Amino acid sequence: MVRASIVVEISRTLSEILVCPLSKQPLRVCEKSNSLISDAIGVSFPIIDGIPCLVPKDGKIIETPTDDDSLDTKQCA
Amino acid sequence: MSRLNGNLLRNFMRRRSFCTAENVDGDLQSSKVQIFDRHLKRKQRDRAAWLINRKDSLVNTVADNLLDRLEDVKKTFPTTLCLGGSMEAIRRSVRGRGGIEKLIMMDSSHDMVKLCKDAEKDLSSDNIETSFLVGDEEFLPIKPSSVDLVISCLGLHWTNDLPGAMIQSRLALKPDGLFLAAIFGGETLKELRIACTIAHMEREGGVSPRISPLAQVRDAGNLLTRAGFTLPGVDVDEYQVRYNSALELIEHLRAMGETNALVNRVKFLKRDTALATAAVYESMFAAEDGTIPATFQVIYMTGWREHESQQRAKRRGSATVSFKDIQKEFGG
Repeated sequence: MVRASIVVEISRTLSEILVCPLSKQPLRVCEKSNSLISDAIGVSFPIIDGIPCLVPKDGKIIETPTDDDSLDTKQCA
Repeated sequence: MSRLNGNLLRNFMRRRSFCTAENVDGDLQSSKVQIFDRHLKRKQRDRAAWLINRKDSLVNTVADNLLDRLEDVKKTFPTTLCLGGSMEAIRRSVRGRGGIEKLIMMDSSHDMVKLCKDAEKDLSSDNIETSFLVGDEEFLPIKPSSVDLVISCLGLHWTNDLPGAMIQSRLALKPDGLFLAAIFGGETLKELRIACTIAHMEREGGVSPRISPLAQVRDAGNLLTRAGFTLPGVDVDEYQVRYNSALELIEHLRAMGETNALVNRVKFLKRDTALATAAVYESMFAAEDGTIPATFQVIYMTGWREHESQQRAKRRGSATVSFKDIQKEFGG
């Protein structure tokens, strides 16, 4: 099965400036789920069409701690 | 018996209409009153992205006016954040003003951001590095002290917590950073307000909110100081736009994404009432050539993030020159 790899490109400008809208803590890029994770509150914000969506309403609460562990290995360089 | 049931039902319905709009992330239930339905506003802005008129004279004028203020300042603003509203017009009208190098465009509507992103290739001659993100002005996802300039052109009048949004903008600014905003003022669409009220009273015997509560000029200064900005500046401009019919006015509002998003809005507009409103508007305000005017009052707000280099009033009692000396100087 061929899976199209979605390249998560967050420009340097954005990665230096973006923080979680609710906790104002830094975000972490997760390539596996193509989203930005806020560890402080355990919410993931999607990146649609290369545009990060940081509206609180769009955030999905990360369900279990085990999810977090598997995502930990993916880190944006 | 049936009347009793009817009353109960009506009471129940009335109570339901006062509940606050669906709030974000349940655990952040704010006790503040929700005036605007932000979710609906996003949807309206999505639609506006498709209806956008790049030659809209009102929006272009306001954007130009706002950016002109950058020419009055010696400072340059390499990193700029542009918050919603008519950011497409801002992007088009920058033309090198303010020395902007990096422009971050933010809006709560994904379609609007996508529109600006797609239009970027036509504007690449600017040498401005643009980044795009979807975010809410009331929950700014920007690191504190990271941008030199925050511009909001006709976007903040849809926030539920305007002081809060301004405080967050201030925190995002670097020291000696500038905050520029243009919002619609209380006089905006006063003709429409009057026509709606009259038509509604006639047809339905009651009035429901059709035009959002808008800031008054006298409040703008307070807003800036309350948000903690130094050297606040407020000025007002009134624009009169002429339309061939009331329907054109509504279409214009729709294209700008400025249609009703109040939580207490009545979701149905009867055809009779709509026609009556148009008729009242035309009979009360039409000019000789049949066109109808609409007033748009725009309040321009300017504020700076505090910095030691800014002038401030001296401490009481620290005067070194007395008025008598000044009087003597002028031979009085």
